[in-house]
Amino acid sequence: MKKRIAAMISGVLVLMLLGGCQSGGTAQESVSTEKMASLSGQELILYTWEGMFPDEVISEFEAKTGCEVVYQNFTYDEEMLEKLTQTDGGEYDLVFADDYIIEQAIDAGLVQKLDKAKVPNIENENPMFKGQFFDKTNEYTVNYGAGIPLIVYDPNAIDFKISGYHDLWNEKLKGSIALIGNNRVVTGMVLMSMGESMNTEDINRIEEAGKKLQSLAPNVRLIKDDNTQTALLTGEASVAYLYTSQVYDALNNNPDLKVVVPEEGVGFGLMAGFIPSKAPNSEAAHAFLDYIMEPKTFAQCTEFTGYYCTNIGAETFIDDSKKNMLVVPDGLKGEMIENIGIAANDVHQRIWTEFKAAAGAAE
Amino acid sequence: MKKKKLGLWLTVMPLYLFTLVFVVGPLIYMFVLSFCTRGDHYETVMTFTLDNYKKVAEPVYRNTFMESIKLAFTTTIITILLGYPFGYFMAKLSSSKKKIMMALIMVPFWTSSLVRMYGWSILLQSNGILDKILMGIGITQKPLKLLYTYPAVVSGMVYALLPFMMLAVYSSAEKMDWLLVEAARDLGASAWKAFWTVTWKMTLPGMMTGVVLTFVPSMGLFFVADILGGNKVPLVGNVIQEQLTKGRNWPFAAALSVILMIMTSLFIAIYRKVTGAKELEGLM
Repeated sequence: MKKRIAAMISGVLVLMLLGGCQSGGTAQESVSTEKMASLSGQELILYTWEGMFPDEVISEFEAKTGCEVVYQNFTYDEEMLEKLTQTDGGEYDLVFADDYIIEQAIDAGLVQKLDKAKVPNIENENPMFKGQFFDKTNEYTVNYGAGIPLIVYDPNAIDFKISGYHDLWNEKLKGSIALIGNNRVVTGMVLMSMGESMNTEDINRIEEAGKKLQSLAPNVRLIKDDNTQTALLTGEASVAYLYTSQVYDALNNNPDLKVVVPEEGVGFGLMAGFIPSKAPNSEAAHAFLDYIMEPKTFAQCTEFTGYYCTNIGAETFIDDSKKNMLVVPDGLKGEMIENIGIAANDVHQRIWTEFKAAAGAAE
Repeated sequence: MKKKKLGLWLTVMPLYLFTLVFVVGPLIYMFVLSFCTRGDHYETVMTFTLDNYKKVAEPVYRNTFMESIKLAFTTTIITILLGYPFGYFMAKLSSSKKKIMMALIMVPFWTSSLVRMYGWSILLQSNGILDKILMGIGITQKPLKLLYTYPAVVSGMVYALLPFMMLAVYSSAEKMDWLLVEAARDLGASAWKAFWTVTWKMTLPGMMTGVVLTFVPSMGLFFVADILGGNKVPLVGNVIQEQLTKGRNWPFAAALSVILMIMTSLFIAIYRKVTGAKELEGLM
């Protein structure tokens, strides 16, 4: 009996461990490095977050080229960079990730220059988003969407108008704000509310922002990086600071919600695709990039991901009812969230942990 | 004789190798890493430093250890209060009922614990199932804010770990010789005294196993605090995860892990000392 119980308990432990490691990597199949003239029968290893492309788009590419798309996920950009570093830029053919991590990947020599002759549709890119800090010369990446975190609130739950970040500190909002879990974005918002750049490396200013962030703690109901909008939709929170795709989802589910483009300005980020330096099948990767840059396909992808459209040609193909959410408004002022030095980043990490503790204590 | 030895080697070696490669290896790696320096480009440099450990002592990170210990203690105490009586009475059931009970305990484990935590969040969320029931029968008038609170985290932890306590107590109560209790009663002990001097003492090692099986994982089950606590209870596990991802400070994450492991081992040692249990029953 004793042994049976022991076996059972250890069985249970194993199951729990399995449950806990949800973000473990998937098995990777070896890729044939044989070069073939056509893509038929080949594989394209696409490495990005879950749910970045509609199934129709992927299956249409497969049908057109005969090339199988193997979709592999990561949860965090950093996880992607780590894998890319370990495989020395091999293993994956095409990666879609965030701007700041791409800068690091390019710096580390893990990205190859695009052969633009193979991606003629690249001319559809919106010039407004080109030449940003992570790829100043436009040699390595193709933008796939822009994210602009915005404030969304339920006008039925709040009796005053929110016009900017500063309103989040209002005492009436006690325990009712849902925040995304990205520390640079949230602390960046605080810095912006202080009239400071989101990318400042001035340690004193970051520390000040940390203090100001702590004073926001009593108003914070939850901090969560995925599906944050759910809290707003269920009534768990009445105000939320959300990623673009979440704003899009929230509005689709409840058109009464109000979106605020903060008067202090916005911080935006870009997602872009790149081909790792030693991609086993860069041919297929180029073909895929060209395929998604076709205006019609890109519009399909934009409507699916809910990010702001970075492809000028695609804008006309976006459904009229969704244009206000997916086409970038004119005259938007903001800055990109860029990589900062190691010392400043460490302070950012520390104040974030302090903030979470304060939010728990203020409960 | 020789044949027997060969068989022993063949059956035992794979496990030893496995342990060496996947347990001892990573432990050494982690230990070494915790004394490494982080370079200017976030890379790990093999230069000896104690800075990572100094950083662990900063108030903000020390606080995460305190929070983790507090949560682990709360969880363990509640699982004892709920799990001990359950295990005790389960051992007294007839064998067919025992089987049913066992099945009922095991069935939830067929689903991943992560999925079960999301289940809890659906149950507890505003206008969720619990709210609808309470408002439906008129106990509450407006949605309660249950999710993303400390009690929600504790409930999730207790729910996840309770079976370990139940099974551990059950295992020792099950094989106990109940004649000893009868003897105590015959010799004039009250029911309470008989329980306290005989049953309690004999089931203590089982409960100890339960305590270890509850306390140790609860120091590390940080995803419960994420999902049910809205990320507002910063546990060591969360900090380690953040340092491995956004913070990109692997040496510091390793130092945090080393301290966490030392502390956990220390707690096990203290438990054993206090209760006098020689072994973790049913496990070792």
